[in-house]
Amino acid sequence: MRSSIRISIAALALLSATQLFGASFATNNRVVREFPIDPAGSVWIDNPFGSVDVIGGDGNLVSVTVDRMISAPDAMAMKEASDGIGLSFEGDTKVRLMRTVLPPGRNARWSVSVNYVVRIPRSVNVKIGSKLAEHIRVSHVNGSVTVNGFSGTLIMEGVNGASAISMVNGHIIYDYTQRPVSKAQVQAVNADIDVYLPANSNLNWVANTLNGDILTTFPVRLGRFNGTIFHGVIGAGGGPTINTETMMGRILVLSKGSNSSDAQSVRQNRPNHQAVPNDVMLQPAQKIQMPFVTGDFNFAASVADVTVGEIRGNCRIETGAGEVELGAVFGQCNVTSLGGPLNLGDVMGALYAHTGAGDIIVRAARMGGQVTTDGGLIRVIVAGGPMTLRSGGGDIIVRQASAAIDAETTSGDITITGDPKQKSVKVTARTLGGNLVLNVNPRFAADIDATILTADPDVNEMHIDFNGITVRREQVGNKTRIRATGKINGGGERVELYAEEGDIHISAQNITPIRLATPKQ
Amino acid sequence: MPDCDAMRENMPLLLTESLDPVRRELTHQHIESCPICIAEWSDYKETWQTLEALPEIEVPARVKQRFLAEVMPAAANTNVVPFRRGRTARWLAQAAAVVIVGSSAFYAGHRVTPGTQLTPTPAQVTAIQQAMPANPYYSIAESRVLPAASISPQIEGRPDIQNVQFSDASPTSDQIGVSFDITSHVTVTGRPTDKSMVRLLRYVLENEDKESPSRSRAIDWVRQTYSHVGNPDPEITEALANVLRNDEHQGVRIKAADTLQSMQAAMTDGTRDALVGALKNDPNPAVRIKAVEALAKLARSGAALDPDMVDTLRKKASQNDENVYVRVKAAEALSSIQPR
Repeated sequence: MRSSIRISIAALALLSATQLFGASFATNNRVVREFPIDPAGSVWIDNPFGSVDVIGGDGNLVSVTVDRMISAPDAMAMKEASDGIGLSFEGDTKVRLMRTVLPPGRNARWSVSVNYVVRIPRSVNVKIGSKLAEHIRVSHVNGSVTVNGFSGTLIMEGVNGASAISMVNGHIIYDYTQRPVSKAQVQAVNADIDVYLPANSNLNWVANTLNGDILTTFPVRLGRFNGTIFHGVIGAGGGPTINTETMMGRILVLSKGSNSSDAQSVRQNRPNHQAVPNDVMLQPAQKIQMPFVTGDFNFAASVADVTVGEIRGNCRIETGAGEVELGAVFGQCNVTSLGGPLNLGDVMGALYAHTGAGDIIVRAARMGGQVTTDGGLIRVIVAGGPMTLRSGGGDIIVRQASAAIDAETTSGDITITGDPKQKSVKVTARTLGGNLVLNVNPRFAADIDATILTADPDVNEMHIDFNGITVRREQVGNKTRIRATGKINGGGERVELYAEEGDIHISAQNITPIRLATPKQ
Repeated sequence: MPDCDAMRENMPLLLTESLDPVRRELTHQHIESCPICIAEWSDYKETWQTLEALPEIEVPARVKQRFLAEVMPAAANTNVVPFRRGRTARWLAQAAAVVIVGSSAFYAGHRVTPGTQLTPTPAQVTAIQQAMPANPYYSIAESRVLPAASISPQIEGRPDIQNVQFSDASPTSDQIGVSFDITSHVTVTGRPTDKSMVRLLRYVLENEDKESPSRSRAIDWVRQTYSHVGNPDPEITEALANVLRNDEHQGVRIKAADTLQSMQAAMTDGTRDALVGALKNDPNPAVRIKAVEALAKLARSGAALDPDMVDTLRKKASQNDENVYVRVKAAEALSSIQPR
């Protein structure tokens, strides 16, 4: 009996201790202040973590209510947070600055949220700085409003003064209670932008998004695109300009009383539109993942990641940005991207691939083709037909060249390995900064013309594993030109190599051929 | 393979370039597609090259006479119709000839020129290490002074010694000095995490300039090696950051940024600054892409990004004349950031 009591006591003690250890500490404090302010004065609020509500009204006082909530896992962390987090009220009747002061080296063990409710005369100008907010709401203010935030929902309600908004993530909602009379500049990166306007509004509307769409229920006049930027007029025009710009988000401008499901895309409904090269940027963003396409595959999108396992017909892909990954393409393959890596598999037909920036990897170009990047690496495993390869900076590697290769990079190494089954292959390779390596089998026959232009001839060298080559050196200005010419194995196709500030190596070696699997039709 | 025997018969003739073009082509094609014959052919070539390197020694008349008597007993008789041997027999005879000539020449060479090394071998650092028990470290230095006692009396291989100078090291004693430049090939082995190895690689990355292998190859190797190491040394990422900042070749900078992306765990403030700098200022869009991808990955991993980094990403995402993919990646990075 005694022992069971002892055990029960021990168990209770252990349980309480466990609960104590698992408990977290939380504290709430409220601060209320009032300050006089001029009708044309400014209120600046700098609150990195927490919501901000600014409400315009009558009078000449700024009334502030601040709630500070701290949570911490233990008393020590709680004390550190309580001591370190302060509120600061500064300024005079012209400018009132209120801010949350955080300790410089923040401890990740505690978290804080400071919520401000600020009542101001409606003519006062407002400036808000924020990092992470559940919401920022500014309502019934006739002065100018500036918000610079990182994340959260921003609501602008009945703001009649000029406004400049910059957010990164979250959601921006503009609700005009009357026709807009001042300009608004709204900039975001990943946030959606919703604007609600009275039906009788007159304004010039500018909208820009890369990834999202531009939608409205208003009839927009004089709509035109300049790149991805849309310009249009709502109503009779002559009103202020509302500029809405978000990189990855959607822009929605609604007439009050209308439904967002009735909104039309101004990107896709463009009457009398004349096609221009950058049209792809006006196609909606998509993400495609398909294992199989039986026929031709035609695709265009502004921002898109495209992954297709097998295309049984021709392929045509055009993207503004994104990653393209294709398995097998039975027909011709034409892939153009303004930026992003291309990873292409076994292409049976002619290949045309270009990216504005990024690496291009091709497993097999059986009929050859053209592969270009404005910057990035090009790697072709099997070049079955003649190929042109261009890089604006980056290495070029061809693992098995069975036909003529024309490769050029502004900076980077070029490595080309000849198909061991070919006795001779035409090669033109040029690097303006890097080494050049040509691997061929010992029987490879060619007319060699290889040139190195270098400021350091002791470092950059010509290595040719074949006999019958004449090497000459000459001074060209402050550089040395090393030129090797001659026929190897009796001569054959022309091999023209040029490297600046790099080595050239024509290496004779036994090369194991790469065999491609025959695709099942 | 059924063809292998026949092809091997052709190999000696291929070596001496005695095959007709058709058979030469056939033999080459077979060798390239048959792993066994590739090995056989490599051995043949190696033997042939070794034989070529041997000095020509006059075979003693008595040995020659006896050899000819064994192989061609009727060599002197010009009226005899030549006997056409079967293919196998001919191959055997050729192989035997190669072996006999090779071994006799090798034997004779050793007798006549003692100490001649056929193929130079790299200098062995281990010899010096053994001779210096007091200082077990082999110092890779621009110039060193070594007491003779610390040098192994045996010089291994044929190290290239140049610019030799003789001096009387200490006029008051009987010490002399010999100074020289030596080109030796050093192989350092160790774990990728060994500090000496890390320092050496850092030196190679930061100082190797246009030498073989090129810096881009060094970066390739570092990436391959350290992608398997859970927590690579920050010195490696700092060296890559310096390459990213300073190398004039865009292709090299692309590789440096790409490699940094795979070494998130070892990133230092300096490394991050280098990535931000590349994203801001590098003229090559591919470098900027690699930099922004590295930063995006860093943001996704939950690492705290400093205000400058966030600001750069924000500017890049909104920069209308920037490559769209760079902008998208910058936006993607920003979407992963939790302000702290």
